[in-house]
Amino acid sequence: MIARRLWHWILAILIAGWLPVILIVWWWNASATSDNPFFPPLEVIWEQFKLNWIFANVSVHLVPSMQNLFTGFAIAVVLGIGLGTLIGSSPGASRYIEPIIDFFRSIPAVALVPIFILLLGFDSSMRIASIAFATMFPILIATIEGIRTTNVVLLDTASVFRLSRAQVLWRVRLPNAMPIIFGGLQVAFQIAFIVTIASEYLGSGFGLGAFTLIATDSFMIIDAWTGVLLLCMLGYTLSLVFDIVERISLGWYYGQKKLA
Amino acid sequence: MPAALRRIPAGMISAIVALIVWQIIGSVGPLAGDSFATASEAIAALWMLLSKPEFWLAFWETFQMAAIGFAISVAVSVPLGILIGLSRFSYRSSKFVFDVLKVIPPIVLIPIAILVIGPTMAMGVALVVFANVFSMAIQTAYGVRDADPVLLETMRCYRMNIWQQIQYARLPSAAVQIGIAMRLALGASLVVAIVSGLVGGAGGLGSFLALTQSSGNADQTYAVILFLGIIGVALSRMLVRGQRRIIFWSGR
Repeated sequence: MIARRLWHWILAILIAGWLPVILIVWWWNASATSDNPFFPPLEVIWEQFKLNWIFANVSVHLVPSMQNLFTGFAIAVVLGIGLGTLIGSSPGASRYIEPIIDFFRSIPAVALVPIFILLLGFDSSMRIASIAFATMFPILIATIEGIRTTNVVLLDTASVFRLSRAQVLWRVRLPNAMPIIFGGLQVAFQIAFIVTIASEYLGSGFGLGAFTLIATDSFMIIDAWTGVLLLCMLGYTLSLVFDIVERISLGWYYGQKKLA
Repeated sequence: MPAALRRIPAGMISAIVALIVWQIIGSVGPLAGDSFATASEAIAALWMLLSKPEFWLAFWETFQMAAIGFAISVAVSVPLGILIGLSRFSYRSSKFVFDVLKVIPPIVLIPIAILVIGPTMAMGVALVVFANVFSMAIQTAYGVRDADPVLLETMRCYRMNIWQQIQYARLPSAAVQIGIAMRLALGASLVVAIVSGLVGGAGGLGSFLALTQSSGNADQTYAVILFLGIIGVALSRMLVRGQRRIIFWSGR
């Protein structure tokens, strides 16, 4: 039984893994003799990558980027879920506020960065404010939706048991809204990553995005490649981490769905 | 509330209230000043921009980047998706690679794209294609794999060839997924076209916005962002309406 499971696992990894391995090997070999300045050999990029990111510049560029990302995202989560719960609990208010939220969501998140540059200049506060503001709207929308669409049977049951408003909110509405809120959080997290990089491209100085774009502008092509590679790895890793966090915190929900 | 007031749509009332609040915030309080435009200043600036040919040219450039990128994405990803979806092995082999490429936002590639392609509209188009092609292809492939197995068995019994199978079983099954992917991609194309102008200098409304910000013209910066919001709302309304017309039996 265990052996068979193990075998299935190995087979799945082999089927999913052969193509990426071949692609990387092909890139490595095809670029090995490249003298095109824009496509340096992968080996050269990798050597420079080790020099740049394991772990020399990490504290200068990577850590501030991640600090801004998570600070901005945390502010957005608190504001988004808090305001969303308030608005979602009152159908009258949400009718009037939703068109405004809809409008802000329709603006490309990155296009909001110039507003914050005008207001706050180029330092970290501008970056955090941009991230928090742009990220808030998907969370807000998801929370309103989740709070509003609570199962009627559950609400009736809660009122039979004479739960107070606060108890209904805390014990019934919010847990029920969690799967939808997590959907919003996932979208929001992607936006937070994009806005983090964009705010660094647009605002000069430190941060991973700034490092990469400055390398491009000063024709340090290998450095630019290492920056882009690291950003790609980061983008994928962050989305993977988010999936895992979601799986763990919504474990009860997936269990319920399996049973149903 | 009087009956006459109640007939005004909620969106209109909230828009007016929002504009008034915006005007007040911009006139008094800590935000008032040159770096914050009030509602009236932004609207006046937008009115002025709408009469300028450069503004419409920028709009046209953004639209072109989005539309050409979208068309290329569809033309590449639908055949590719069908090809991948035809066999279980190719689907499972490529799913991981496509999933990885799908979550990488095109904005991270801008530095390399500037080097390789240069800050032009072609770069904007390339980024739009990158943004869409992987998710559309894998979605198409999923739809193709999702075709009714009984239908496929029946077709094999009748010895219908692979083209007929694609035409009568695979494509109709994939059409729904392709439609969903296309709807998402339309919005994404516009956003990526704007962003590649804003941070990559590809031209269009994005570059126009970057210029107003770097010259410190707050009124015009707010005006352009207001305009982007209006286009965004208009596009999503159009998509909802279009979807209702095409899939008219759902979502009543």
